[in-house]
Amino acid sequence: MTDPGQPVHDFRELLTGTTRHLACGADIDELLEQAADGHAGQLTGHQRHCLHCQAALKEFSRLWEPVRSLAAENVAVPATLKAAVAGQIRKLIADVRYTLHLSDSGAIRIAARVVATIARDAARTVPGVRAAFGRSTTASPAGKTNLRHHHPHAAAGVLGRTAVVDLAIAAHYGSQLDAIAREVQQRAIADLRAKAGLHDVTVNVTIDDVIT
Amino acid sequence: MGTEVDDAYLVRRAREGYVDAYAELVDRHGQLAYRVALRLLGNHHDAEDVAQEALVTAWQQLPRFKANSRFTTWLYQIVTRKTLNRITRTRATESLDLLGDISATGDEPGQQTERNLTADAVTAAVAALPPPQRIAIVLRHFEGLSNAEIARITTNTIPAVRSHLFRGRRTLGQTLEQWR
Repeated sequence: MTDPGQPVHDFRELLTGTTRHLACGADIDELLEQAADGHAGQLTGHQRHCLHCQAALKEFSRLWEPVRSLAAENVAVPATLKAAVAGQIRKLIADVRYTLHLSDSGAIRIAARVVATIARDAARTVPGVRAAFGRSTTASPAGKTNLRHHHPHAAAGVLGRTAVVDLAIAAHYGSQLDAIAREVQQRAIADLRAKAGLHDVTVNVTIDDVIT
Repeated sequence: MGTEVDDAYLVRRAREGYVDAYAELVDRHGQLAYRVALRLLGNHHDAEDVAQEALVTAWQQLPRFKANSRFTTWLYQIVTRKTLNRITRTRATESLDLLGDISATGDEPGQQTERNLTADAVTAAVAALPPPQRIAIVLRHFEGLSNAEIARITTNTIPAVRSHLFRGRRTLGQTLEQWR
């Protein structure tokens, strides 16, 4: 047993050995935890007077510094990650396309998710809208459930130039919600006509949350 | 556009098929998925694959997500499981290309090399830990999670998490000691 008056200096032995306690009785693993958590400077009553604990905390803290340093490094996300995830999800869901023009020269179609994006972005320009999300397909997690079962007005119009878009809106608390909803509808319809050439457009607006 | 709504709102909308609500969740937490995978696996390529798989799986399994839990806890769970599968399949983390990660710290070249070597060494030491210890160490000391959170993520008891942490710290400490 180590003399309680002589602090231990061989810390490798402390970590590799089977002993779990310093000569003063302090638990080695708890001291290592304290140091690893960056609390080596927050001494307990015992530690304030114990040279064993103070030496161990100092040493463990120095030992752990490279780990803390790496943990503090910012990890940059690969630029391709988000697009790759979106691409895989698109494959999982049956995305519909609106046919804008069909002739002997070929067909012009626009994906329903693009239609939903145009409507959503238009909604986000309306004062009082804090968040807006658009849906215009039968998309659902797992790609199995047809939303029309759950939501009779959900969009899936694929004929001619008719489009149906659902917009879920979180509005600023205190705003006049019906006015916001009408403005969202008008702007979404106008943008879908101007940007996608869709003339028969139904935009269902649901304000499902308010944010203070 | 970043929105001001919370994760629970985004999860509800995503479950209803609003794909752009899920895209917002990926925007917010894609880094978490990649960062944890990187720390657990030690190389960028596998980490990107695992993060991607985890985020797509999370989308597919949204109907099974329990509304009373946090999306991030659930994502940690999926990432760690995917990582475990990857470790079991490959049983090796060959490339330690973390250098690109920390190349813009503004240090002089000499300091930079030293930092990179240290980062590589720590990464190698973490990656050499047995998976349960590695997961506990990464979640606690790289992600700053509590033992209770780690227990929920790994479906372990808190004493089991503490035990993995104790053993992981000792092993890591011994390796770090050898470099000094």
